[in-house]
Amino acid sequence: MARMKFICDAERCIECNGCVTACKNEHDVPWGVNRRRVVTLNDGIVGAERSISVACMHCSDAPCQAVCPVNCFYKTEDGVVLHDKDLCIGCGYCFYACPFGAPQFPQAGAFGLRGKMDKCTFCAGGPEKDNSKAEIEKYGRNRLSEGKLPACAEMCSTKALLAGDGDVLSDIYRERVMRRGRGGDLWGHATAYGRPDTKPAGAALPTAPAVAQPAAQKS
Amino acid sequence: MRTGIAVFACLGSAMLLSACGEQPQTIAAKPGQSAAKEGDKPYNNDLFKNDKNAWQLQLRARADHQNEYKRVN
Repeated sequence: MARMKFICDAERCIECNGCVTACKNEHDVPWGVNRRRVVTLNDGIVGAERSISVACMHCSDAPCQAVCPVNCFYKTEDGVVLHDKDLCIGCGYCFYACPFGAPQFPQAGAFGLRGKMDKCTFCAGGPEKDNSKAEIEKYGRNRLSEGKLPACAEMCSTKALLAGDGDVLSDIYRERVMRRGRGGDLWGHATAYGRPDTKPAGAALPTAPAVAQPAAQKS
Repeated sequence: MRTGIAVFACLGSAMLLSACGEQPQTIAAKPGQSAAKEGDKPYNNDLFKNDKNAWQLQLRARADHQNEYKRVN
């Protein structure tokens, strides 16, 4: 099997935030922590607005793992990047290293004290025993051990967000691009999945069609 | 005078060679470096009975189900 991956098709995402809600609900994520969020670019510009759902991309060469001073990250044999909350000291280095802003820190007390890092687990739980109370409390549900894909992707109404084996996702995406004849660029793909010795391809914005700009944009 | 030249030559060569001692400052995750305890295998449970192939087939079917062209046509 290849590696577990997410891809988000910006041509399809309608910024419904269903993935965000599904994730929050599935894992009982506390207030202030967003394992997944939807980012919209060119908001309000007709024809150029694009949304993309962002969470941990489970990088092949994960920078969070590289900078962690206590080495609390590990990668499963399926390529899912997970961490051990019993080791995490909440230093925040991973937050600075991550190009996607995936690591989240719950406020643990007064004076802005940070708690242990929390991030998307690809619905694969953590190092505790699968589906144990400890695992659910610390990392949320473990859907992968139930033979299910992450809740965010399975919930996505337009199937903009896809999750699963990288090879299967490539096939699905390729077929889509062939049928619609455009939108072959995937934002963040080169950053997350490119080899460390290759330069990111620079996923550029799709060219906006020539349309009248809103009044606010003209001034 | 000679001493001065020698000191100057030493300092000059030390300055010129100082860049040779620069270490690469890039870091990357090294396999086996993690201090975390790794969890159970996702297929090692009552549902899949440690059958990795069955688990993979199940996930592949789920992933394929995301392709609406296959579902509709």
